[in-house]
Amino acid sequence: MDLEVVYDKIYRYVYFKIKNQSIAEDITQETFLRFIRQKGNIHDFQMKYLYTIARNLCVDEFRRVKPDSLPEDIDDVSPAQEDHLTEQIAVREAVAKLPAEDQELLLLRHVNNESAGTISKALGISRFALYRRLKKAEDELRAGLEACGYEK
Amino acid sequence: MELSVDRLSKQYKNKIAVDRVTFRLSEGVTGLLGANGAGKTTLMRMMTGILTPDSGKITADGIAVQTEEYRSLLGYLPQDFGYYPEFTAREFIQYIAALKGLEKKHARKKTDDLLEVVGLSDVANKKIKTFSGGMKQRVGIAQAIVNDPRILILDEPTAGLDPKERVRFRNLIAEIGKNTIVLFSTHIVSDIDSIAGNLLMMRDGQIIYDGSWNKEQGDLEQFYMKEFE
Amino acid sequence: MKNELKDVLNITFSAPEPKKKQMFLKNLRPSEISTLEMLCRQAGYIRGTVWIFAAAVIVFVLFGSWKQLPDTQELVPEIMPFLAAVSVLENRRSRKYGMIELEMVTRFSFKSVLFARMLIPGITCLVILAVASPVIAMAFGGETLLTAMHMLIPYLVTMSICLQVERSPLGRRLEYGSLAASALISVLMIWIKNYAAALVNGYAEMIRDWGVLIVLILAMVTAFEQWRTLNSTEEPAWNYQ
Repeated sequence: MDLEVVYDKIYRYVYFKIKNQSIAEDITQETFLRFIRQKGNIHDFQMKYLYTIARNLCVDEFRRVKPDSLPEDIDDVSPAQEDHLTEQIAVREAVAKLPAEDQELLLLRHVNNESAGTISKALGISRFALYRRLKKAEDELRAGLEACGYEK
Repeated sequence: MELSVDRLSKQYKNKIAVDRVTFRLSEGVTGLLGANGAGKTTLMRMMTGILTPDSGKITADGIAVQTEEYRSLLGYLPQDFGYYPEFTAREFIQYIAALKGLEKKHARKKTDDLLEVVGLSDVANKKIKTFSGGMKQRVGIAQAIVNDPRILILDEPTAGLDPKERVRFRNLIAEIGKNTIVLFSTHIVSDIDSIAGNLLMMRDGQIIYDGSWNKEQGDLEQFYMKEFE
Repeated sequence: MKNELKDVLNITFSAPEPKKKQMFLKNLRPSEISTLEMLCRQAGYIRGTVWIFAAAVIVFVLFGSWKQLPDTQELVPEIMPFLAAVSVLENRRSRKYGMIELEMVTRFSFKSVLFARMLIPGITCLVILAVASPVIAMAFGGETLLTAMHMLIPYLVTMSICLQVERSPLGRRLEYGSLAASALISVLMIWIKNYAAALVNGYAEMIRDWGVLIVLILAMVTAFEQWRTLNSTEEPAWNYQ
């Protein structure tokens, strides 16, 4: 897999947890470096390990600083995006209503397009549990979207 | 990264090939334009460390040109190069990858990726001696970038490429130039127009123009013709 | 899941553009191989001729000893110059095929390529000696060490002469100058054997008494010539264009 794609995926995942561009990027890079130190190669990045390392680093970060005191980036919206803004806000709200674990699943499965095997190993849950929770999260998201008037 | 060339000179028996040349390069594509015999190849050979200058210094972020560290950052396509007769395109790139210190598994994967990028995947296992000039040149470009260089020096890279290959090459170089120092020499003005953000112009061993070239400054072709009359 | 929903999620989970990505990935250089690994891999690029010739010498020794062919013991030292020449000819491959410029700019550089092309045939020669000398000594009676020295001396003499030939302006131009030199040495050896019996006896005596010293001196001369060849590559032809 292309290194850039791997980087983007891990960064997106960490950003989802940390919500701060600069810290998220530091953690992403640290994730890579730890993987190399542990596995001793850089050609065969195994996603499940990378996610696991990234998760642990995020936990450490939260432990180090209180979650509320982490500086969150303020969304800056470019004019081009403004058209979709109302729609986006609705979507964001619907997603935000879901529990964090469900959001994590949706991100890994549908944005980062990871396989069920990778996700279940990275999160340390069984495949069966994964499918069940994913299904529930998808249903709830759909319901949430309909409730706030998003249709397509 | 900054590549610095400082008062570089090289003299052959009765001719000054490069005469106190100074310039700096950073990430991006720079074209080195000049007529045949202007000293382009001599300059580039000194920048790759294979030719020792009479005086002057070349460093990349302080790393001197004739060190292993510098070479590990370097990719180079000579104006003219050969190959061991038994080599296929794949073997050739893997051979260079080994000398560049790439680990075997990584080298294999990288070779396959690059053969795809330069459009030689389907002839990867054919002997290079059966290739056309343009195909051989594409193999040359692939070997130059197999180690993901941070400094890429290409001596007349577009020579022998047909128009389609030229377009492919331009796109590739533009992509690489985003985060690599690329210096390529040519005597064809249109190559500069379409690829290079920066321009170095060379005549009789000296740099006579150093900077960007935009359309407001007039037609590069005309400027070039005027300078080289 | 529907594609629309996927798009929705893509937007929701989009992160600001990473700023240090390219720099980081560029610096994340692949683990590099060691010089030893590089030398091992160069063995794969040594020309077939060297291997075939080396194998032929071994086969000849084994076959001759088995069948008790009387000339085996004398012929083997006479073919050693050719083995030396074939090895030295490896050194000119880069120049011959226009690969020098490419090999010079790599991390390991041209010098290490050349070093590998000296070292690998050299080790091959030692392997041949290790196999051939005890076999011949056992089959025809004699000491292993003496047999080895009788093989090694013509090899080393030819090697150091060929290295000088290859560096000379004439040798650069002559494709098979080394081979000619080795043929000359070999012919000379045969001639001496047939027409100068006194010389042969004197030689045998000398080896018996001073062989180890002679081999050591020749080995040092050869090593010096190799060192000079390695360092002469710093002045490629285009320096004088």
